[in-house]
Amino acid sequence: METLREILDPHFLIRNSVYASLLVGFACPLLGVYLMLRRLIFMGVALPQISSAGIAFAFSLPALGVANHMHAGHFEGDERLLAFVGGLGFTLAALLVLAFLERRGRGLVEGRVGTLYVLAGAWSILLLVKNPTGERGLLDLLRGEIIAVPDLDLWLTLVTFGIVALGLFVFRKEFLLVAFDRDMAVTLKKNVLFWDLFLFVLIGLTISIAVLSVGPMVTFGFLLIPPLIAHLFASNMRQFSLVASGVGGAAALAGFCVAYRLDYPVGPTDVALLGVIYAVAFLGRKAFERVGRRKGLSGGGRLV
Amino acid sequence: MKQETLLALDGLTVGYGPQAILENINLTLQAGSFTGLLGTNGSGKSTLIKTVLGIIPPLAGRVAFDNSGGRVPVLGYVPQREALDPIFLLSSFEVVLMGACGRVGPGRFVGRAEREWAHGCLRETGVDDLSRKRFAQLSGGQRQRVLIARALATRPDLLLLDEPTAGIDANATQAIMDLLRKLHEEHRLTILMVNHDLMAVRKSVGQVIWLHQGKVLFGPVGELLSREKIEEIMELELD
Repeated sequence: METLREILDPHFLIRNSVYASLLVGFACPLLGVYLMLRRLIFMGVALPQISSAGIAFAFSLPALGVANHMHAGHFEGDERLLAFVGGLGFTLAALLVLAFLERRGRGLVEGRVGTLYVLAGAWSILLLVKNPTGERGLLDLLRGEIIAVPDLDLWLTLVTFGIVALGLFVFRKEFLLVAFDRDMAVTLKKNVLFWDLFLFVLIGLTISIAVLSVGPMVTFGFLLIPPLIAHLFASNMRQFSLVASGVGGAAALAGFCVAYRLDYPVGPTDVALLGVIYAVAFLGRKAFERVGRRKGLSGGGRLV
Repeated sequence: MKQETLLALDGLTVGYGPQAILENINLTLQAGSFTGLLGTNGSGKSTLIKTVLGIIPPLAGRVAFDNSGGRVPVLGYVPQREALDPIFLLSSFEVVLMGACGRVGPGRFVGRAEREWAHGCLRETGVDDLSRKRFAQLSGGQRQRVLIARALATRPDLLLLDEPTAGIDANATQAIMDLLRKLHEEHRLTILMVNHDLMAVRKSVGQVIWLHQGKVLFGPVGELLSREKIEEIMELELD
């Protein structure tokens, strides 16, 4: 409790990191719900990695003789903006390529996503092999170190996630229709390509910002695990999104407390905690179902 | 009495990519007709219906709808229910409400009138009591009724059903066919139904499109589903 009070104190030294973690915790699961519904979980692994490759590309620019004024790896001002643009550019490009290939309907989706994942990982390393400072910055990102988040970044994160959440709320009817029954959407004269691209832009924005703040592993953790937990208990789509977002936010806060108390890196602690919550929730759900079945069977044979 | 043509297939070729499955189809469906679309697996039934719906582009020719009333006819589509993923936590009512999405603009809330209309459609198909139940947890026959209610919620001029009785028991099949007959008779709804249950089709429809080995046969049910014609088409000896 003391730790919680300390990290929520407005004068806490790394308070921006707490707020950034919380924002990622609340926002990523809202998009993760759609990745899960559309059976695109693999994409949730690949996109943060691709975004990291975009950031690595931005870091590598000074070594390539471009943007020489940058101090790669320090992530300040223009550098962060360039890293954000790099991450977003790579993510959106990958989404467009995947969407285009999916429309052509040839080959395996998993194969394409897996190839992009491994290529992004390899290029992230190769791009920075001659740039030790940039490499250190990327390693911090991959480890999920959430230490220094400037005010400008925090505002950028808040505004971006606000826009994404608003977009998901206002157009949830369209996103849900296209995800649930694409053919029906076509017969109702909905432009499914537009709604796909719109959702992908929201996903790209969220992942780019989240990767820049907390790294690819934590981003994927928050995209995937909270929706899996929520799906165990939610009874409708609204609950599904709200519970997923709530679990993500709560885990981000609890993870930060644990990491601060034990002097662990925040990102991996968050993901490990989400794993524990998922295991407990899953076992709890199974136990609840078992008790329910027993009660049903002992209740005068109503199931017969 | 002269009947209006609702749908005309004019030199239509359907298929996927460069591969044509059915070529040069020419036929017309009258408003208020009930047509069965028959054929074996892989004969192109679903491909044809999806081309009519605009889901798959035609490889050649065109699908023309009568828009003499100044508007394009609304198509109500009942897909094969296995095509819908049970991961979605949607109630039957929410599924039916999707039928209203064609009339409610992007970002707008679905109003009270549309909600009442959706409830009316559930009543019409006899599953009003299941409106709060999760769609994925319903039986095959119940899900089919909910999907028909969703198609009705679009206020369709033409109802297109893809295998509405596939994989459901005989009683549920009978109930679905009775429901379709009732909708056709009471609302003069034009229906095009994919089915490979000859008996179910024979009892309900007025005309048949039969896809067989790349050929498209079209005619009244009494003519096309007579014993002699079936024998001729299927090259079978019936006992």
